[in-house]
Amino acid sequence: MNVQEAIVSLLQTVQEELQHIADSQGLEGVRLRMLGKKGELTALLRAMGQVPPEDRPAIGQMINEAREKAVALLDARGQWIAARERALALANERIDVTQPVPGPGLGALHPISLVLGEVLDVFTGMGFEVVEGPEVELDLFNFEMMNMPPNHPARDAQDTFYIEDKIVLRTHTSPVQARIMTTRKPPIRIVCPGRVYRADEVDATHSPVFHQLEGLVVGEDVTMADLKGTLDAFAQRLYGPDITTRFRPSFFPFTEPSAEVDLTCSACRGKGCRVCKGTGWIEVLGSGMVNPRVLDMCGIASDRYSGFAFGVGLERIAMLRYDIQDMRLLYEGDVRFLSQFR
Amino acid sequence: MKVSKKWIEQYAAIPVDVEEYKRKMVMHGTGVESIEDMAAQVTGVVVGRILSVAKHEASDHLVICRVDVGDETLQIVTGAPNVAAGQLVPVAKDGACLPGGKRIKAGILRGAASQGMLCSGPELGVPAELYTSVGDEGILIFQEDYPLGADVRPILGIDDAVVDFDILANRPDCQCVWGVARETAVALGTAFHKPDIQVATVPGAVEDFVHITVQDDDLCPRYVGRVVKNVRIGPSPLWLRAALHAAGMRAINNIVDITNYVMLETGHPMHAFNLAKVRGGCVVVRRARPGESIRTLDGKLRETTPDMLMIADGQGPTGIAGVMGGEESEITGDTGDLLFECAAFDRTSIRLTSRALGMRTEASGRFEKGVCPATAREAVDRACQFVNLLGAGDVVAGVYDHYPNPAPTRRIACSVARISRRAGVDIPGGEMVRILAALHFEAALAGDDLAVTVPAFRQDVEGEADICEEVLRIYGYEHLRATALRGETTPGGRSPRIRAADQAKALLWVLGWHEIMNFSFVSPQLIDRLGLGQDDPRRRQLRLLNPLGEDTSVMRATLAPSMLQTLALNQSRNNPAARLFELAPVFDAAGREPGALPVERWRLCLGAYGPDCDFFGLRDLLLHLLGRFGIRARVTAEGEPYHHPGRAASLLAGEDAVATLGEAHPDTRAAFGLPHRALLAELDMDALLARAKPMGAVKPLPRFPAVTRDMALVMDEDVPVGDVLALVARAGRPLLEKADVFDVFRGAQVLVGKKSVAFSLAFRAADRTLSDTEVAPLFGAIVAACAEQFGAVLRA
Repeated sequence: MNVQEAIVSLLQTVQEELQHIADSQGLEGVRLRMLGKKGELTALLRAMGQVPPEDRPAIGQMINEAREKAVALLDARGQWIAARERALALANERIDVTQPVPGPGLGALHPISLVLGEVLDVFTGMGFEVVEGPEVELDLFNFEMMNMPPNHPARDAQDTFYIEDKIVLRTHTSPVQARIMTTRKPPIRIVCPGRVYRADEVDATHSPVFHQLEGLVVGEDVTMADLKGTLDAFAQRLYGPDITTRFRPSFFPFTEPSAEVDLTCSACRGKGCRVCKGTGWIEVLGSGMVNPRVLDMCGIASDRYSGFAFGVGLERIAMLRYDIQDMRLLYEGDVRFLSQFR
Repeated sequence: MKVSKKWIEQYAAIPVDVEEYKRKMVMHGTGVESIEDMAAQVTGVVVGRILSVAKHEASDHLVICRVDVGDETLQIVTGAPNVAAGQLVPVAKDGACLPGGKRIKAGILRGAASQGMLCSGPELGVPAELYTSVGDEGILIFQEDYPLGADVRPILGIDDAVVDFDILANRPDCQCVWGVARETAVALGTAFHKPDIQVATVPGAVEDFVHITVQDDDLCPRYVGRVVKNVRIGPSPLWLRAALHAAGMRAINNIVDITNYVMLETGHPMHAFNLAKVRGGCVVVRRARPGESIRTLDGKLRETTPDMLMIADGQGPTGIAGVMGGEESEITGDTGDLLFECAAFDRTSIRLTSRALGMRTEASGRFEKGVCPATAREAVDRACQFVNLLGAGDVVAGVYDHYPNPAPTRRIACSVARISRRAGVDIPGGEMVRILAALHFEAALAGDDLAVTVPAFRQDVEGEADICEEVLRIYGYEHLRATALRGETTPGGRSPRIRAADQAKALLWVLGWHEIMNFSFVSPQLIDRLGLGQDDPRRRQLRLLNPLGEDTSVMRATLAPSMLQTLALNQSRNNPAARLFELAPVFDAAGREPGALPVERWRLCLGAYGPDCDFFGLRDLLLHLLGRFGIRARVTAEGEPYHHPGRAASLLAGEDAVATLGEAHPDTRAAFGLPHRALLAELDMDALLARAKPMGAVKPLPRFPAVTRDMALVMDEDVPVGDVLALVARAGRPLLEKADVFDVFRGAQVLVGKKSVAFSLAFRAADRTLSDTEVAPLFGAIVAACAEQFGAVLRA
């Protein structure tokens, strides 16, 4: 076998062997066997001494070309192996992305907080300021300045918890109206959220502790149309642009005229359903123009200023929105109930 | 208030169906809970005459009747024992409808055709009061002759609907048939016809029978009395009984029924005295005398006080004015002469009396809401008119009428423009006049001036705002425009407290905590379960005077007990884990002066149990929460009595504890029924808010490398690592940039009772690369300080 044949055979062997080599270790073996100090191609180079001098340049060139070719073959295989090994390594790091793991997950705000947050967003967006008042309240603010003097029959409707003769648990958020009006001058645009108390036994639809939001606007030339515009905007921001309000005449000692405000039922969009008992309307707010007597009692001249007030029960909104059938769920704190909110 | 629709229709037509009637009334200001249409529940039931009764071949208790219903003769099978040929009975024909949606169909009963059903009183929904034979066993047998095939509903008094009104608290004038009929006429645009009241009398004066004296005008602004002699007690006619029944009242006898009927119709509670039982021939309206007591109609002996108004006779009180009559003067079958009383009493006095005695009656309820003195005479005359009509006695001509200070007619000067402006709707003055006239106000228009005279029965109308409401509610709230707020604005926005609360709550819910809301009042015993010291201020709780029950009788001074209860509820329901928080005020009753409000302080309470809960996680959560508000707190190992003594801490900002946390003490867990370990923390939100600092400028990123050193110190087991770390940070100033604890080791190479704590320290200067020669002395100073203060030695 002459050198030329040896080179051809060698290259063929390399090519064949490389096809079976799948890792970088094997590849290195082949490289050493061919190109290493004791490699076969190296051996051929060393054997150049036995080649007649006139043939040397040609043979030398042949060997060098063969070497380059071998290197190219090895590199090509090397790239293939590197890609394969990387893919294998990544495959080995595969995790089961569906496997559940323990951990607390997200918590949740209370449904009343969720609803209140939304309502406050709506009113602060309209330029209302959020204020608060005490839950244990003076009879003076809770009743008298709300135009319910002692022994006024309207007091009966609000079964009141008493701390002392003249100190009550506030029965509504309205006393904050008086607290604000006695300390500020118009223009006043406030909403006041908070806990209120009525001596109702606990059942699916009653609780002695619940939440209201009171709204009050006092200024020059504030009209009942402004009240309607404000509550329309509130209803539409909360439930959607197709919602309207319906005002019904009513009575509250601290407003005159007074109105109960129904909203288009958000469950059926007014068609009539279980939630609205087929009427298409849900009763949500009480409202009215601030009674001039209330303004005067609070030191705001009723011949110059007028105002409107409204009150909304947050439990009612939450119960309608989340279809909560039993009010007790709101106050018992079972984590299986609470974790449903988001 | 339930009222017969037919009764209303006597005074105001209702030319619309009940749904539309309800809608109109509601939209014009008279609440309607429901309308129960009795007439619609019974259809196809007619008067029939039983022609023959034959035995049913296939049954030993059924009979076959042939019944003439006017236009045809029906065969009807019945099991009723009381049928006989010749009787008039109610016949439900094929297709008839009975109360409860029951439909009658022709069919075969045991092989015999039956073309309908003979009805009993209960099957027709007829109450016993309405028709005398209704209560009898079996089929209802008519007592009088009626045309065959006639509708039975008018005969039995069930051709009516009952309207259940929900009258607003300011409209006592609507607590009667005339009141709702007036509103009906206005709402429907029909006319209100008050009956013509004429009384036929026999000569005589009240004085001839009884001497009436009103001693306390202030509590009794009007007292009207009329006498009826030769009283003939008997049952009332069907129309009267049916009207009372619809209103939920029982018929008693013609006289008592008349007083009730007139009360329902006019709103005036009335009383009838049996004059034979009025001792001393006199009726005195006066305050109770000290120590006086009275036996009321319900048979109870009542102690009275001198602020209560009594109706007395010659010997003593016989009734509590406006609340309840006395047993003595009751109308009985043998009553000869009687006195009708119709009075107006001071509503506050009646309210207080009724409260004090714990007696709430139909009359007291009406007097409390307000009964109009001006119309009392009319009510008495109306009663006398019914005495005439029913032939229940001879009305004596004289009238006793004590009305020393007639209420002045109220006149209100209004402006059309102001009313329109308040309403936000332009209502023409002429329209206002028309509406007010329909509401029985007198209104005179002169330019913008609207002079309004208020009818006596409208005691609620006091000023222009009330007139505005009257006009607007009849004009129609649906005409209200919707306008956006105009004029001067205010800055608006959430208060700092609410913003802080929202931020704290957002942090918590994102980290897996659920918000709860507990009642603000709790059992007074709950505080005892915390094992607080006897003089702990939280033991001084604010008591309710009138709690729903002992379990909800004090305002909570701490949120911890209700949180522990909520955790216990979750554990008892086998919920594997819970992380709960509540943000609410507590009520500080300690140091409160009588008449003053308690201080309300906002607190955040956290409670948790379950596999992912540990003390350190909770502690760091609180530290981060405080850090969020710019508050750097120090941890000290001082907890609450209800904490595990070895697993409790306080977080101090400066010298003040802003939060406490710990594992619940085993005794606390036992007291609250917590089988599993639980963590509890409380944070003072007011203190947080007071100390909160806005975030300042950021530090620039370093331009020079840090030099890091590790340091292992061996120290006594009870040396708090946090304190050592704080000292390291101080001693390493100014070049020590960061110090952390990365390992605490106890065991083989460390002596018993000691621990080895490994710190990683990073030193850096802002303006140069630090050299070892600069760091080494600082490192030495840190080690020395730890040795001096905590006896810690550098581990070899």
